[in-house]
Amino acid sequence: MNHSYAGKTVLAIDHLKVQPASIIGLIGPNGSGKSSLLRLLGLIERPTQGEILFNGLRVEPFDDEARFRITLLPQEPILLKRSVLKNVAYGLKLRGKGKEVVQKANEALARVGLSAKDFSQRPWYALSGGEAQRVALAARLALKPKVLLMDEPTASVDAASAQLIKEASLRARKEMGTTLIVASHDWQWLYEICDEILHLFKGRIFGTGRETIIFGPWQDFGTGKRGKSLSDGQQLLVSAPPDREAAAVIEVLSVSDNGPTSPGEEIVLRGTVSRLSLERKTGQLFATILIADIPFTVGLTFQQGKEHTIFPGKTVFIRYRLDQIKWI
Amino acid sequence: MNFLLEGFFQAFSLLLSGNAETYSAIWATVRVSSYSIGSSLLIGIPLGFCLGYFDFKGKKPLRTIVDTLMALPTVFIGLLVYAFLTHRGPLGDFGLLFTLPGIAIGQTILALPLVIGLSATAVESMDQKLRIAIISMGANRTQLFLSSLWEARLGILAGAIAAYGRVMTEVGISMMVGGNIKWHTRTITTAIALETNKGQFGMGVALGLVLLAIALCVNVIVSFLRRRD
Repeated sequence: MNHSYAGKTVLAIDHLKVQPASIIGLIGPNGSGKSSLLRLLGLIERPTQGEILFNGLRVEPFDDEARFRITLLPQEPILLKRSVLKNVAYGLKLRGKGKEVVQKANEALARVGLSAKDFSQRPWYALSGGEAQRVALAARLALKPKVLLMDEPTASVDAASAQLIKEASLRARKEMGTTLIVASHDWQWLYEICDEILHLFKGRIFGTGRETIIFGPWQDFGTGKRGKSLSDGQQLLVSAPPDREAAAVIEVLSVSDNGPTSPGEEIVLRGTVSRLSLERKTGQLFATILIADIPFTVGLTFQQGKEHTIFPGKTVFIRYRLDQIKWI
Repeated sequence: MNFLLEGFFQAFSLLLSGNAETYSAIWATVRVSSYSIGSSLLIGIPLGFCLGYFDFKGKKPLRTIVDTLMALPTVFIGLLVYAFLTHRGPLGDFGLLFTLPGIAIGQTILALPLVIGLSATAVESMDQKLRIAIISMGANRTQLFLSSLWEARLGILAGAIAAYGRVMTEVGISMMVGGNIKWHTRTITTAIALETNKGQFGMGVALGLVLLAIALCVNVIVSFLRRRD
Protein backbone atom coordinates (compact mmCIF):
# COMPACT_ATOMS: atom_id res chain seq x y z
CA MET A 1 0.00 0.00 0.00
CA ASN A 2 1.28 3.42 -0.96
CA HIS A 3 -0.31 6.71 -0.06
CA SER A 4 0.72 10.18 -1.06
CA TYR A 5 -0.46 13.75 -0.62
CA ALA A 6 0.35 16.26 -3.37
CA GLY A 7 2.82 13.79 -4.89
CA LYS A 8 4.69 13.22 -1.63
CA THR A 9 4.62 9.64 -0.37
CA VAL A 10 3.55 9.52 3.26
CA LEU A 11 3.03 5.77 3.58
CA ALA A 12 4.68 2.80 1.92
CA ILE A 13 3.71 -0.51 3.50
CA ASP A 14 4.35 -3.76 1.70
CA HIS A 15 2.11 -5.93 3.81
CA LEU A 16 0.39 -5.67 7.16
CA LYS A 17 -1.86 -8.29 8.69
CA VAL A 18 -3.92 -7.73 11.83
CA GLN A 19 -5.45 -10.64 13.70
CA PRO A 20 -9.05 -10.31 14.91
CA ALA A 21 -9.44 -9.20 18.54
CA SER A 22 -5.78 -8.29 18.81
CA ILE A 23 -4.35 -5.01 20.07
CA ILE A 24 -1.85 -3.34 17.79
CA GLY A 25 0.15 -0.31 18.87
CA LEU A 26 1.51 2.23 16.44
CA ILE A 27 4.43 4.32 17.55
CA GLY A 28 6.66 6.74 15.77
CA PRO A 29 7.51 10.42 15.71
CA ASN A 30 5.08 13.08 14.48
CA GLY A 31 4.74 12.92 10.72
CA SER A 32 5.76 9.26 10.58
CA GLY A 33 2.44 8.26 9.00
CA LYS A 34 0.50 6.92 12.01
CA SER A 35 -2.57 9.09 11.45
CA SER A 36 -2.49 8.49 7.69
CA LEU A 37 -2.38 4.73 8.26
CA LEU A 38 -5.32 4.96 10.67
CA ARG A 39 -7.34 7.05 8.19
CA LEU A 40 -6.72 4.45 5.49
CA LEU A 41 -7.55 1.51 7.76
CA GLY A 42 -10.61 3.43 8.97
CA LEU A 43 -11.73 3.73 5.32
CA ILE A 44 -11.81 7.50 5.51
CA GLU A 45 -9.51 7.74 2.51
CA ARG A 46 -8.61 5.42 -0.34
CA PRO A 47 -4.90 4.49 -0.64
CA THR A 48 -3.15 5.95 -3.68
CA GLN A 49 -1.97 2.42 -4.52
CA GLY A 50 -2.69 -0.94 -3.03
CA GLU A 51 -5.67 -2.40 -1.25
CA ILE A 52 -7.18 -3.04 2.16
CA LEU A 53 -8.89 -6.33 2.91
CA PHE A 54 -11.41 -6.82 5.70
CA ASN A 55 -12.45 -10.39 6.47
CA GLY A 56 -10.74 -11.33 3.20
CA LEU A 57 -12.74 -8.90 1.07
CA ARG A 58 -11.39 -5.78 -0.56
CA VAL A 59 -12.98 -2.74 1.07
CA GLU A 60 -13.12 0.94 0.17
CA PRO A 61 -14.57 4.07 1.81
CA PHE A 62 -18.39 3.96 2.13
CA ASP A 63 -18.51 0.18 1.48
CA ASP A 64 -21.52 -1.30 3.24
CA GLU A 65 -19.46 -4.37 4.14
CA ALA A 66 -17.13 -2.43 6.38
CA ARG A 67 -18.51 1.01 7.26
CA PHE A 68 -20.68 -0.35 10.08
CA ARG A 69 -17.88 -2.48 11.51
CA ILE A 70 -14.81 -0.26 11.45
CA THR A 71 -14.65 3.04 13.29
CA LEU A 72 -11.98 5.61 13.98
CA LEU A 73 -11.59 7.83 17.04
CA PRO A 74 -9.65 10.89 15.85
CA GLN A 75 -7.08 12.62 18.04
CA GLU A 76 -9.24 15.71 18.51
CA PRO A 77 -12.74 14.96 19.76
CA ILE A 78 -14.87 16.35 16.97
CA LEU A 79 -18.47 16.32 18.14
CA LEU A 80 -21.54 17.14 16.11
CA LYS A 81 -23.34 20.34 17.09
CA ARG A 82 -25.98 18.60 19.13
CA SER A 83 -26.48 17.18 22.61
CA VAL A 84 -24.28 14.46 24.10
CA LEU A 85 -27.09 11.89 23.73
CA LYS A 86 -27.62 12.79 20.06
CA ASN A 87 -23.88 12.56 19.45
CA VAL A 88 -23.68 9.09 20.95
CA ALA A 89 -26.88 8.02 19.20
CA TYR A 90 -25.80 9.35 15.78
CA GLY A 91 -24.05 6.19 14.57
CA LEU A 92 -26.82 3.98 15.96
CA LYS A 93 -29.41 5.96 14.01
CA LEU A 94 -27.34 5.59 10.83
CA ARG A 95 -27.65 1.85 11.42
CA GLY A 96 -31.41 2.15 11.75
CA LYS A 97 -31.53 1.18 15.41
CA GLY A 98 -34.49 3.32 16.35
CA LYS A 99 -36.00 1.76 19.45
CA GLU A 100 -32.98 0.87 21.52
CA VAL A 101 -31.00 4.01 20.71
CA VAL A 102 -31.38 5.82 24.04
CA GLN A 103 -30.68 2.73 26.11
CA LYS A 104 -27.61 1.79 24.07
CA ALA A 105 -26.34 5.38 24.13
CA ASN A 106 -26.73 5.55 27.91
CA GLU A 107 -24.89 2.24 28.30
CA ALA A 108 -22.06 3.52 26.15
CA LEU A 109 -21.83 6.70 28.22
CA ALA A 110 -21.60 4.59 31.36
CA ARG A 111 -18.72 2.63 29.79
CA VAL A 112 -16.63 5.82 29.66
CA GLY A 113 -17.63 6.94 33.14
CA LEU A 114 -20.22 9.54 32.15
CA SER A 115 -23.58 9.47 33.87
CA ALA A 116 -26.45 9.70 31.40
CA LYS A 117 -28.43 11.71 33.94
CA ASP A 118 -25.79 14.45 34.13
CA PHE A 119 -24.48 14.41 30.58
CA SER A 120 -27.00 13.15 28.03
CA GLN A 121 -28.77 16.49 27.54
CA ARG A 122 -25.64 18.64 27.69
CA PRO A 123 -24.83 20.52 24.49
CA TRP A 124 -21.58 19.72 22.69
CA TYR A 125 -19.95 22.99 23.76
CA ALA A 126 -20.49 22.44 27.49
CA LEU A 127 -17.88 19.70 27.84
CA SER A 128 -14.25 19.73 28.88
CA GLY A 129 -11.64 18.28 26.49
CA GLY A 130 -11.52 15.01 28.42
CA GLU A 131 -15.31 14.71 28.58
CA ALA A 132 -15.63 15.44 24.86
CA GLN A 133 -13.10 12.71 24.05
CA ARG A 134 -15.00 10.28 26.27
CA VAL A 135 -18.29 11.18 24.53
CA ALA A 136 -16.57 10.60 21.17
CA LEU A 137 -15.36 7.20 22.39
CA ALA A 138 -18.81 6.34 23.78
CA ALA A 139 -20.31 7.15 20.36
CA ARG A 140 -18.00 4.54 18.86
CA LEU A 141 -18.35 1.93 21.58
CA ALA A 142 -22.15 2.12 21.22
CA LEU A 143 -21.69 0.70 17.72
CA LYS A 144 -19.99 -2.45 19.06
CA PRO A 145 -17.35 -2.17 16.33
CA LYS A 146 -15.28 -5.07 15.06
CA VAL A 147 -12.32 -2.71 14.64
CA LEU A 148 -11.70 0.39 16.73
CA LEU A 149 -8.89 2.63 15.53
CA MET A 150 -7.71 5.24 18.01
CA ASP A 151 -5.41 8.12 17.11
CA GLU A 152 -3.63 9.43 20.21
CA PRO A 153 -6.76 8.89 22.32
CA THR A 154 -5.21 10.21 25.52
CA ALA A 155 -2.94 12.90 24.11
CA SER A 156 -4.97 15.94 25.06
CA VAL A 157 -7.02 14.80 28.02
CA ASP A 158 -6.63 14.90 31.79
CA ALA A 159 -5.26 11.91 33.71
CA ALA A 160 -8.67 10.72 34.93
CA SER A 161 -10.17 10.81 31.43
CA ALA A 162 -7.08 9.05 30.05
CA GLN A 163 -7.53 6.26 32.57
CA LEU A 164 -11.23 5.87 31.72
CA ILE A 165 -10.52 5.86 27.98
CA LYS A 166 -7.86 3.18 28.41
CA GLU A 167 -10.17 1.04 30.55
CA ALA A 168 -13.15 1.41 28.20
CA SER A 169 -11.15 0.50 25.10
CA LEU A 170 -9.65 -2.59 26.72
CA ARG A 171 -13.07 -3.63 27.97
CA ALA A 172 -14.37 -3.40 24.39
CA ARG A 173 -11.72 -5.88 23.30
CA LYS A 174 -12.50 -8.20 26.17
CA GLU A 175 -16.31 -8.08 25.98
CA MET A 176 -16.98 -7.48 22.29
CA GLY A 177 -13.88 -8.98 20.71
CA THR A 178 -13.03 -5.64 19.15
CA THR A 179 -9.69 -5.36 17.39
CA LEU A 180 -7.89 -2.29 18.69
CA ILE A 181 -5.31 -0.36 16.69
CA VAL A 182 -3.91 2.44 18.79
CA ALA A 183 -1.46 5.17 17.82
CA SER A 184 0.06 6.72 20.91
CA HIS A 185 3.16 8.33 22.34
CA ASP A 186 2.37 6.57 25.61
CA TRP A 187 4.87 3.77 24.97
CA GLN A 188 4.59 2.32 28.42
CA TRP A 189 0.83 1.82 28.06
CA LEU A 190 1.21 0.32 24.61
CA TYR A 191 3.88 -2.12 25.77
CA GLU A 192 1.62 -3.19 28.61
CA ILE A 193 -1.47 -3.88 26.51
CA CYS A 194 -0.43 -4.60 22.93
CA ASP A 195 -0.06 -7.96 21.24
CA GLU A 196 2.14 -6.30 18.66
CA ILE A 197 3.76 -2.93 18.30
CA LEU A 198 4.62 -1.43 14.94
CA HIS A 199 7.18 1.31 14.68
CA LEU A 200 6.51 3.76 11.87
CA PHE A 201 9.17 6.03 10.53
CA LYS A 202 8.92 8.13 7.37
CA GLY A 203 5.84 6.17 6.34
CA ARG A 204 7.42 2.74 6.65
CA ILE A 205 6.98 0.07 9.26
CA PHE A 206 10.15 -1.24 10.79
CA GLY A 207 10.73 -3.14 13.96
CA THR A 208 8.72 -3.29 17.10
CA GLY A 209 9.50 0.06 18.62
CA ARG A 210 12.21 -1.26 20.93
CA GLU A 211 14.87 0.10 18.62
CA THR A 212 16.70 3.24 19.56
CA ILE A 213 16.45 5.77 16.77
CA ILE A 214 18.71 8.79 16.81
CA PHE A 215 17.85 11.55 14.40
CA GLY A 216 20.33 13.70 12.49
CA PRO A 217 21.89 16.17 11.80
CA TRP A 218 25.33 14.63 12.32
CA GLN A 219 28.59 16.41 12.99
CA ASP A 220 31.95 15.55 11.49
CA PHE A 221 34.50 15.34 14.34
CA GLY A 222 37.46 14.85 11.92
CA THR A 223 39.72 11.83 11.62
CA GLY A 224 36.78 9.88 10.19
CA LYS A 225 34.62 10.27 13.30
CA ARG A 226 31.01 11.37 12.99
CA GLY A 227 28.26 11.71 15.52
CA LYS A 228 26.75 14.08 18.03
CA SER A 229 28.22 16.05 20.92
CA LEU A 230 26.00 15.38 23.90
CA SER A 231 25.13 17.92 26.56
CA ASP A 232 27.06 15.97 29.23
CA GLY A 233 30.31 16.15 27.23
CA GLN A 234 30.19 12.61 25.82
CA GLN A 235 30.36 11.93 22.10
CA LEU A 236 27.79 9.67 20.47
CA LEU A 237 29.69 8.16 17.55
CA VAL A 238 28.06 6.62 14.48
CA SER A 239 29.18 5.02 11.21
CA ALA A 240 29.12 7.07 8.00
CA PRO A 241 25.52 8.35 7.55
CA PRO A 242 24.05 8.26 4.02
CA ASP A 243 23.10 11.90 4.43
CA ARG A 244 23.36 14.56 7.14
CA GLU A 245 19.72 14.21 8.22
CA ALA A 246 19.50 10.38 8.17
CA ALA A 247 18.30 8.56 11.29
CA ALA A 248 20.45 5.89 12.92
CA VAL A 249 18.99 2.73 14.42
CA ILE A 250 21.30 1.68 17.24
CA GLU A 251 21.11 -1.73 18.80
CA VAL A 252 22.44 -1.73 22.34
CA LEU A 253 24.47 -4.86 22.97
CA SER A 254 24.68 -4.76 26.72
CA VAL A 255 24.20 -2.78 29.90
CA SER A 256 26.66 -2.96 32.73
CA ASP A 257 27.80 -1.23 35.88
CA ASN A 258 31.33 -0.84 34.50
CA GLY A 259 32.69 1.79 32.13
CA PRO A 260 35.17 1.25 29.29
CA THR A 261 38.03 -1.03 30.26
CA SER A 262 40.19 -1.23 27.15
CA PRO A 263 39.98 0.32 23.68
CA GLY A 264 37.88 -1.88 21.44
CA GLU A 265 35.32 -1.83 18.67
CA GLU A 266 32.47 -1.22 21.03
CA ILE A 267 31.31 2.29 21.84
CA VAL A 268 30.58 2.81 25.52
CA LEU A 269 28.34 5.59 26.84
CA ARG A 270 27.36 6.49 30.38
CA GLY A 271 23.73 7.11 31.24
CA THR A 272 21.02 6.92 33.85
CA VAL A 273 18.19 4.42 33.99
CA SER A 274 15.01 6.49 33.70
CA ARG A 275 12.33 3.81 33.39
CA LEU A 276 11.78 0.10 33.64
CA SER A 277 8.83 -1.52 31.90
CA LEU A 278 7.53 -5.02 31.52
CA GLU A 279 6.22 -6.38 28.23
CA ARG A 280 3.33 -8.43 29.51
CA LYS A 281 3.13 -10.74 26.51
CA THR A 282 6.80 -11.84 26.54
CA GLY A 283 7.66 -11.14 30.16
CA GLN A 284 10.72 -9.21 29.02
CA LEU A 285 11.98 -6.16 30.86
CA PHE A 286 12.82 -2.99 28.98
CA ALA A 287 15.02 -0.30 30.43
CA THR A 288 15.04 3.25 29.12
CA ILE A 289 18.45 4.74 29.69
CA LEU A 290 19.01 8.43 29.26
CA ILE A 291 22.37 9.21 27.68
CA ALA A 292 22.48 12.98 28.24
CA ASP A 293 18.97 13.76 26.89
CA ILE A 294 18.68 10.87 24.44
CA PRO A 295 16.63 7.84 25.51
CA PHE A 296 18.07 4.43 24.61
CA THR A 297 15.84 1.37 24.95
CA VAL A 298 17.43 -1.85 26.05
CA GLY A 299 15.76 -5.24 26.37
CA LEU A 300 16.75 -7.29 29.42
CA THR A 301 15.87 -10.71 30.68
CA PHE A 302 14.54 -10.82 34.20
CA GLN A 303 17.83 -12.47 35.22
CA GLN A 304 19.91 -9.67 33.68
CA GLY A 305 17.81 -7.07 35.43
CA LYS A 306 18.30 -8.84 38.71
CA GLU A 307 22.03 -9.44 38.13
CA HIS A 308 22.83 -5.81 37.44
CA THR A 309 20.27 -4.52 39.93
CA ILE A 310 18.84 -2.14 37.35
CA PHE A 311 16.57 0.47 38.87
CA PRO A 312 15.55 3.99 37.84
CA GLY A 313 18.15 6.57 38.84
CA LYS A 314 21.07 4.17 38.65
CA THR A 315 24.12 5.12 36.54
CA VAL A 316 24.95 2.42 33.97
CA PHE A 317 27.04 1.98 30.84
CA ILE A 318 25.68 0.84 27.48
CA ARG A 319 27.65 -0.68 24.62
CA TYR A 320 26.98 -0.73 20.86
CA ARG A 321 28.98 -1.33 17.71
CA LEU A 322 29.40 1.08 14.82
CA ASP A 323 29.18 -1.69 12.22
CA GLN A 324 25.76 -2.73 13.54
CA ILE A 325 24.17 0.68 13.11
CA LYS A 326 21.41 0.74 10.49
CA TRP A 327 20.41 3.89 8.63
CA ILE A 328 16.90 4.89 7.62
CA MET B 1 -43.77 66.62 11.67
CA ASN B 2 -47.56 66.40 12.02
CA PHE B 3 -47.93 64.60 8.69
CA LEU B 4 -45.73 61.79 10.00
CA LEU B 5 -47.81 61.39 13.15
CA GLU B 6 -50.97 61.50 11.07
CA GLY B 7 -49.36 58.85 8.85
CA PHE B 8 -48.88 56.58 11.86
CA PHE B 9 -52.47 57.00 13.00
CA GLN B 10 -53.73 56.39 9.48
CA ALA B 11 -51.47 53.33 9.21
CA PHE B 12 -52.99 51.70 12.30
CA SER B 13 -56.46 52.54 11.08
CA LEU B 14 -55.77 50.93 7.68
CA LEU B 15 -54.31 47.81 9.25
CA LEU B 16 -56.96 47.40 11.92
CA SER B 17 -59.86 48.06 9.56
CA GLY B 18 -58.59 45.40 7.16
CA ASN B 19 -58.15 47.79 4.22
CA ALA B 20 -58.34 45.58 1.11
CA GLU B 21 -55.75 47.48 -0.94
CA THR B 22 -53.21 47.39 1.89
CA TYR B 23 -53.74 43.69 2.50
CA SER B 24 -53.56 42.94 -1.23
CA ALA B 25 -50.04 44.41 -1.32
CA ILE B 26 -49.08 42.51 1.84
CA TRP B 27 -50.40 39.23 0.45
CA ALA B 28 -48.61 39.78 -2.90
CA THR B 29 -45.34 40.43 -1.06
CA VAL B 30 -45.65 37.36 1.14
CA ARG B 31 -46.48 35.15 -1.86
CA VAL B 32 -43.77 36.41 -4.17
CA SER B 33 -41.07 36.44 -1.49
CA SER B 34 -42.02 32.90 -0.46
CA TYR B 35 -41.70 31.70 -4.06
CA SER B 36 -38.36 33.39 -4.56
CA ILE B 37 -36.77 32.48 -1.22
CA GLY B 38 -38.02 28.90 -1.53
CA SER B 39 -36.54 28.41 -4.98
CA SER B 40 -33.30 30.22 -4.16
CA LEU B 41 -32.76 28.02 -1.07
CA LEU B 42 -33.60 24.89 -3.03
CA ILE B 43 -31.09 25.72 -5.76
CA GLY B 44 -28.60 27.75 -3.73
CA ILE B 45 -27.92 25.52 -0.70
CA PRO B 46 -26.70 22.47 -2.68
CA LEU B 47 -24.65 24.72 -4.97
CA GLY B 48 -23.21 26.61 -1.99
CA PHE B 49 -22.40 23.33 -0.27
CA CYS B 50 -20.52 22.08 -3.34
CA LEU B 51 -18.70 25.39 -3.69
CA GLY B 52 -17.61 25.36 -0.05
CA TYR B 53 -16.99 21.63 0.38
CA PHE B 54 -15.17 20.49 -2.73
CA ASP B 55 -11.85 21.58 -4.15
CA PHE B 56 -11.90 21.87 -7.92
CA LYS B 57 -10.19 23.75 -10.68
CA GLY B 58 -11.58 27.26 -11.07
CA LYS B 59 -13.05 27.35 -7.55
CA LYS B 60 -11.47 30.69 -6.64
CA PRO B 61 -12.62 32.58 -9.76
CA LEU B 62 -16.09 31.09 -9.33
CA ARG B 63 -16.15 32.23 -5.71
CA THR B 64 -15.15 35.75 -6.80
CA ILE B 65 -17.99 35.80 -9.34
CA VAL B 66 -20.52 34.66 -6.72
CA ASP B 67 -19.27 37.28 -4.25
CA THR B 68 -19.54 39.96 -6.92
CA LEU B 69 -23.07 38.91 -7.82
CA MET B 70 -24.09 39.40 -4.19
CA ALA B 71 -24.00 43.13 -4.90
CA LEU B 72 -25.99 42.89 -8.14
CA PRO B 73 -28.21 46.03 -8.46
CA THR B 74 -31.90 45.18 -8.38
CA VAL B 75 -32.71 47.50 -11.29
CA PHE B 76 -30.14 45.68 -13.43
CA ILE B 77 -31.75 42.32 -12.62
CA GLY B 78 -35.14 43.93 -13.31
CA LEU B 79 -33.90 45.13 -16.69
CA LEU B 80 -32.50 41.69 -17.64
CA VAL B 81 -35.55 39.76 -16.53
CA TYR B 82 -37.81 42.28 -18.28
CA ALA B 83 -35.80 41.81 -21.48
CA PHE B 84 -36.18 38.03 -21.25
CA LEU B 85 -39.89 38.03 -20.32
CA THR B 86 -41.16 40.75 -22.66
CA HIS B 87 -43.11 39.39 -25.65
CA ARG B 88 -40.08 40.11 -27.86
CA GLY B 89 -37.74 38.29 -25.46
CA PRO B 90 -36.72 34.61 -25.51
CA LEU B 91 -39.17 33.71 -22.71
CA GLY B 92 -41.93 36.01 -23.90
CA ASP B 93 -44.25 33.11 -24.85
CA PHE B 94 -44.63 32.09 -21.21
CA GLY B 95 -46.52 35.29 -20.45
CA LEU B 96 -44.73 35.91 -17.17
CA LEU B 97 -44.19 39.65 -17.52
CA PHE B 98 -46.27 41.68 -15.03
CA THR B 99 -47.05 38.58 -12.96
CA LEU B 100 -46.00 37.50 -9.48
CA PRO B 101 -44.05 34.46 -10.83
CA GLY B 102 -42.18 36.90 -13.09
CA ILE B 103 -41.17 38.98 -10.05
CA ALA B 104 -40.24 35.75 -8.24
CA ILE B 105 -37.82 34.82 -11.06
CA GLY B 106 -36.07 38.17 -10.70
CA GLN B 107 -35.97 37.95 -6.92
CA THR B 108 -34.59 34.40 -7.11
CA ILE B 109 -31.73 35.73 -9.24
CA LEU B 110 -31.23 38.43 -6.61
CA ALA B 111 -31.20 36.01 -3.66
CA LEU B 112 -29.27 33.15 -5.27
CA PRO B 113 -25.73 34.61 -5.01
CA LEU B 114 -26.36 35.46 -1.35
CA VAL B 115 -27.59 31.95 -0.54
CA ILE B 116 -24.77 30.28 -2.51
CA GLY B 117 -22.02 32.56 -1.15
CA LEU B 118 -23.09 32.48 2.49
CA SER B 119 -23.79 28.72 2.40
CA ALA B 120 -20.32 28.18 0.91
CA THR B 121 -18.80 30.32 3.68
CA ALA B 122 -20.70 28.35 6.33
CA VAL B 123 -19.53 25.04 4.90
CA GLU B 124 -15.94 26.27 4.51
CA SER B 125 -15.85 27.38 8.13
CA MET B 126 -16.82 23.90 9.34
CA ASP B 127 -14.05 21.93 10.99
CA GLN B 128 -12.41 19.89 8.23
CA LYS B 129 -12.10 16.98 10.62
CA LEU B 130 -15.87 16.81 10.94
CA ARG B 131 -15.89 14.80 7.71
CA ILE B 132 -13.66 12.19 9.35
CA ALA B 133 -15.92 12.06 12.40
CA ILE B 134 -19.08 11.58 10.30
CA ILE B 135 -17.60 8.91 8.00
CA SER B 136 -16.04 7.08 10.92
CA MET B 137 -19.51 6.68 12.45
CA GLY B 138 -20.61 4.76 9.35
CA ALA B 139 -22.28 7.42 7.22
CA ASN B 140 -22.73 6.80 3.49
CA ARG B 141 -22.31 9.61 0.95
CA THR B 142 -25.86 10.93 1.26
CA GLN B 143 -25.73 10.83 5.06
CA LEU B 144 -22.36 12.61 4.94
CA PHE B 145 -23.89 15.37 2.78
CA LEU B 146 -26.98 15.77 4.95
CA SER B 147 -25.07 15.64 8.24
CA SER B 148 -22.51 18.17 7.02
CA LEU B 149 -25.32 20.43 5.86
CA TRP B 150 -27.00 20.11 9.24
CA GLU B 151 -23.73 20.99 11.00
CA ALA B 152 -23.49 24.17 8.92
CA ARG B 153 -27.14 25.01 9.53
CA LEU B 154 -26.61 28.18 11.59
CA GLY B 155 -24.41 29.76 8.91
CA ILE B 156 -26.81 28.70 6.17
CA LEU B 157 -29.71 30.11 8.18
CA ALA B 158 -27.88 33.43 8.42
CA GLY B 159 -27.51 33.39 4.64
CA ALA B 160 -31.20 32.62 4.21
CA ILE B 161 -32.17 35.54 6.47
CA ALA B 162 -29.89 37.92 4.59
CA ALA B 163 -31.40 36.75 1.29
CA TYR B 164 -34.94 37.06 2.64
CA GLY B 165 -34.21 40.58 3.82
CA ARG B 166 -32.92 41.54 0.38
CA VAL B 167 -35.90 39.99 -1.41
CA MET B 168 -38.46 41.60 0.91
CA THR B 169 -37.05 45.09 0.61
CA GLU B 170 -36.18 45.33 -3.09
CA VAL B 171 -38.15 47.74 -5.31
CA GLY B 172 -36.39 47.63 -8.68
CA ILE B 173 -37.40 44.12 -9.81
CA SER B 174 -40.94 44.34 -8.47
CA MET B 175 -41.44 47.67 -10.21
CA MET B 176 -39.91 46.76 -13.59
CA VAL B 177 -41.00 43.13 -13.92
CA GLY B 178 -44.25 43.36 -11.94
CA GLY B 179 -45.37 46.73 -13.22
CA ASN B 180 -46.90 47.73 -9.86
CA ILE B 181 -50.41 46.70 -10.94
CA LYS B 182 -52.98 47.34 -8.24
CA TRP B 183 -54.61 44.14 -6.85
CA HIS B 184 -52.18 41.99 -8.87
CA THR B 185 -48.48 42.74 -8.68
CA ARG B 186 -48.33 45.65 -6.28
CA THR B 187 -46.04 44.65 -3.45
CA ILE B 188 -45.34 46.43 -0.17
CA THR B 189 -42.23 48.19 -1.46
CA THR B 190 -43.71 49.35 -4.78
CA ALA B 191 -46.83 50.48 -2.94
CA ILE B 192 -44.76 52.53 -0.48
CA ALA B 193 -42.88 54.16 -3.37
CA LEU B 194 -46.12 54.97 -5.18
CA GLU B 195 -48.07 56.18 -2.15
CA THR B 196 -45.18 58.38 -1.00
CA ASN B 197 -45.05 59.97 -4.46
CA LYS B 198 -48.76 60.66 -4.13
CA GLY B 199 -48.25 62.15 -0.67
CA GLN B 200 -50.23 59.33 0.98
CA PHE B 201 -47.95 58.76 3.92
CA GLY B 202 -50.51 56.77 5.88
CA MET B 203 -50.51 53.76 3.61
CA GLY B 204 -46.73 54.06 3.14
CA VAL B 205 -46.13 54.00 6.90
CA ALA B 206 -48.65 51.18 7.35
CA LEU B 207 -46.91 49.03 4.79
CA GLY B 208 -43.51 49.97 6.21
CA LEU B 209 -44.70 48.80 9.65
CA VAL B 210 -45.85 45.52 8.14
CA LEU B 211 -42.41 45.00 6.54
CA LEU B 212 -40.84 45.63 9.92
CA ALA B 213 -43.26 43.20 11.59
CA ILE B 214 -42.46 40.47 9.06
CA ALA B 215 -38.72 41.01 9.60
CA LEU B 216 -39.27 40.81 13.37
CA CYS B 217 -41.29 37.58 13.04
CA VAL B 218 -38.61 35.94 10.89
CA ASN B 219 -35.87 36.91 13.33
CA VAL B 220 -37.87 35.74 16.36
CA ILE B 221 -38.38 32.36 14.68
CA VAL B 222 -34.68 32.11 13.80
CA SER B 223 -33.63 33.09 17.34
CA PHE B 224 -35.97 30.43 18.71
CA LEU B 225 -34.46 27.80 16.42
CA ARG B 226 -30.93 28.84 17.44
CA ARG B 227 -31.79 28.74 21.14
CA ARG B 228 -33.39 25.32 20.72
CA ASP B 229 -30.06 24.11 19.31
